[in-house]
Amino acid sequence: MNIVAPRMDRIKPSPTNAASSRAKELKAEGRDIVGLSSGEPDFDTPLNIKEAAKKAIDAGDTKYTHLNGTPELRKAVCDKFKRENNLDYTPDEVIVSTGGKQVLFNALLASVAPGDEVVIPAPYWVSYPDMVLLAEGEPVFVTCPQNNSFKMRAEDLDAAIGPKTKWLILNSPCNPTGAAYTEAELREIADVLLKHPHVWVMTDDIYEHLTYDGFKFKTLVEVEPKLKDRALVINGMSKAYAMTGWRIGFAGGPKALISQMSKLQSQSTSATCTISQAAAVEGLNGPKDFIQSNNEAFKRRRDLVVKALNACPGLHCHTPEGAFYVYPSCAGCIGKTSQGGKKIATDEDFVVALLEEEGVAVVHGAAFGLSPHFRISYATADSVLEDAMVRIRRFCDGLK
Amino acid sequence: MVELADRLNRLSLSASAAISALARELREQGKDVISLSSGEPDFDTPDHIKQAAWEAIQRGETKYTNTDGTRALKEAVRDKFRRENGLDFQLNEITVGNGAKQVLYNAMMATLNDGDEVVVAAPHWISYTDMVVGAGGRPVIVPCSQNAGFKLRAEDLEAALTPRTRWVMLNSPSNPSGAAYTRDELKELCEVLRQHPKVLLASDDIYEHILYDGLEFATPAQFDDEIKARTLTVNGVSKAYAMTGWRIGYAAGPRDLIKGMLVMQGQVTAGASSVGQAAATAALNGPQEIVRERRDAFQERRDTVVKMLNECPGVICHKPQGAFYVYPNIAGTLGKKAPSGKTIETDEDFVAELLRAESVAAVHGAAYNLSPYFRISYAASMDELVEACGRIRRFCESLN
Repeated sequence: MNIVAPRMDRIKPSPTNAASSRAKELKAEGRDIVGLSSGEPDFDTPLNIKEAAKKAIDAGDTKYTHLNGTPELRKAVCDKFKRENNLDYTPDEVIVSTGGKQVLFNALLASVAPGDEVVIPAPYWVSYPDMVLLAEGEPVFVTCPQNNSFKMRAEDLDAAIGPKTKWLILNSPCNPTGAAYTEAELREIADVLLKHPHVWVMTDDIYEHLTYDGFKFKTLVEVEPKLKDRALVINGMSKAYAMTGWRIGFAGGPKALISQMSKLQSQSTSATCTISQAAAVEGLNGPKDFIQSNNEAFKRRRDLVVKALNACPGLHCHTPEGAFYVYPSCAGCIGKTSQGGKKIATDEDFVVALLEEEGVAVVHGAAFGLSPHFRISYATADSVLEDAMVRIRRFCDGLK
Repeated sequence: MVELADRLNRLSLSASAAISALARELREQGKDVISLSSGEPDFDTPDHIKQAAWEAIQRGETKYTNTDGTRALKEAVRDKFRRENGLDFQLNEITVGNGAKQVLYNAMMATLNDGDEVVVAAPHWISYTDMVVGAGGRPVIVPCSQNAGFKLRAEDLEAALTPRTRWVMLNSPSNPSGAAYTRDELKELCEVLRQHPKVLLASDDIYEHILYDGLEFATPAQFDDEIKARTLTVNGVSKAYAMTGWRIGYAAGPRDLIKGMLVMQGQVTAGASSVGQAAATAALNGPQEIVRERRDAFQERRDTVVKMLNECPGVICHKPQGAFYVYPNIAGTLGKKAPSGKTIETDEDFVAELLRAESVAAVHGAAYNLSPYFRISYAASMDELVEACGRIRRFCESLN
């Protein structure tokens, strides 16, 4: 019996999951595997946040909450937007969901009609096009080449916008490249959007706090407030607060959109976990010094990885501004053959051979819409990274 | 103004949520409101479960879990089905979501084509039909009369099935009527389905443990392998363990279906909260006495509420065998005038006037697709229930 509906054929199983499943298999066989494919910080949630969760558990905060999030958390979100982004939102203009992912899902399912186009700069987080397809929209990709630091050029955005364009999804700092847009670059994007008043924009700012070398994060609506009434500003606790498992994302946007997202959420999940919401309140309102010290570690690792990768024959690695990913090009390895006899015709061949022969798990660029590259997550211990770099070097040295 | 997708216009915000919000508002204005509209136990989560959550937090279980649940929780679910229901499932036939709501949502989204029909017995939890509609399907509502104990009869099921029927949705014990099917009653329904081998069956067993008068719980997958192979057995920790806020539901069913649901879950939210999952694991694996103690408390309240409601002029209350709801008929009050001067023409008028005159919040039957009734949740203290029933009686006596 064929059980599943055709809409399911529009989505592919996550390639990042597929990569980590193969790595898990090899690990289970007893192989010594170094995993650099994960999208989460290796740091644990800070103690003050954990203790706030404990307090909520003890206090019996174990009941359904307001669908859009507890009043305390929505207030903390409004305060965060004001304090960190100079954005004014009222509690009925924000929504809390089960991860930034659900915020995006709600927004796209609530607004995209069959045939609507959504502009997605590539490389991109895999879920963006999948969700657009699930909503029966059409993703329109704009390539962001390495020689433009993996950032979208204003003229390319302008060319991609048509009468059916509903949304632009902008993700800075970006998964998988780590690229972050400067204020001047955002200004140019904003100018294009001002020319096209029918286009809405969602900014996925989940990596906001993870920037290095004194890079100053700005979000698009802060740079151009005129966009605010057609923008959804998305953020969450997962990356900066090391709270991936707690599943708290949030967004600010026009009330009409937020209320429709809320309606969808009322049918798919209801409110998110109460204990996690209490933890998120403490995260947003509490001390932030751990972010700085975590970032120092991230920056050190980024530098370690970029330097080591650039010493590998056939690889070229750009130094990104933020997140915890690098996105090296493996163009110089294409056409060669590995020690194990594998012909490297694509970036997928590259990562498969690297995993099988050296036990290093990374994700191929094709999964993110820009080849030939691969993504390394450096959210892991320095010693693990050093070991991985030795292996990648050996692998590249062995290519003929 | 953002143009919303058509699919959103097909959805409504849940009526019980709207009533709860109104009751909250009146309370904030200083009114002494008794709310009997909530769908959650008034008990707190048991201490050993809370303790397990805190231990998980301390152990650093704060990272992404598998999309379909941690291995520990899936094993606990497998063991639960074996121990309590005599059902054997493999781990890849089990999935975990953010509440039973998401499990059902995933199932509908993963299987329904435009125009596919889903048979829903009324009165029913409103989310069933909204999810079906949201996924492009068509709910086929089969009214179940009070005379039949609000249960679906085999001949009515037979009459509702068409070549386009994709699912039959069963919920025993039921929200909002409290009706619980005996093993023989379920068997008769399954016999009907035997003639329709393409129809899937969703059994929402979330109220499994809140069952009275020594009635033995039964679920369709228990009958035979043929039925089991097309049944999704849905359950969760919300009601039995007073864990509504933790948002953990689960289901077991045929592998293809579970796989499709996993893909949806990956798009909507990814895995449920890691802390909620650890708590749910402890709930399923831990001591179960407290579940029975609480059931006994619920049964005592049911008896009081049914007796007191049947003393109200114009009200006839059926005595249900499960859940924590009663669904009294108010046909005898229609056409009468409330103290405000308003004539009661519908059950919605009845609950609105009851709230206005006596500050008792309940939900009108129209919200569950069977009128003229209203739903009372007796998940409140005995003192509150006695006070509320006294007020309802006074209200009914004031009608003329």
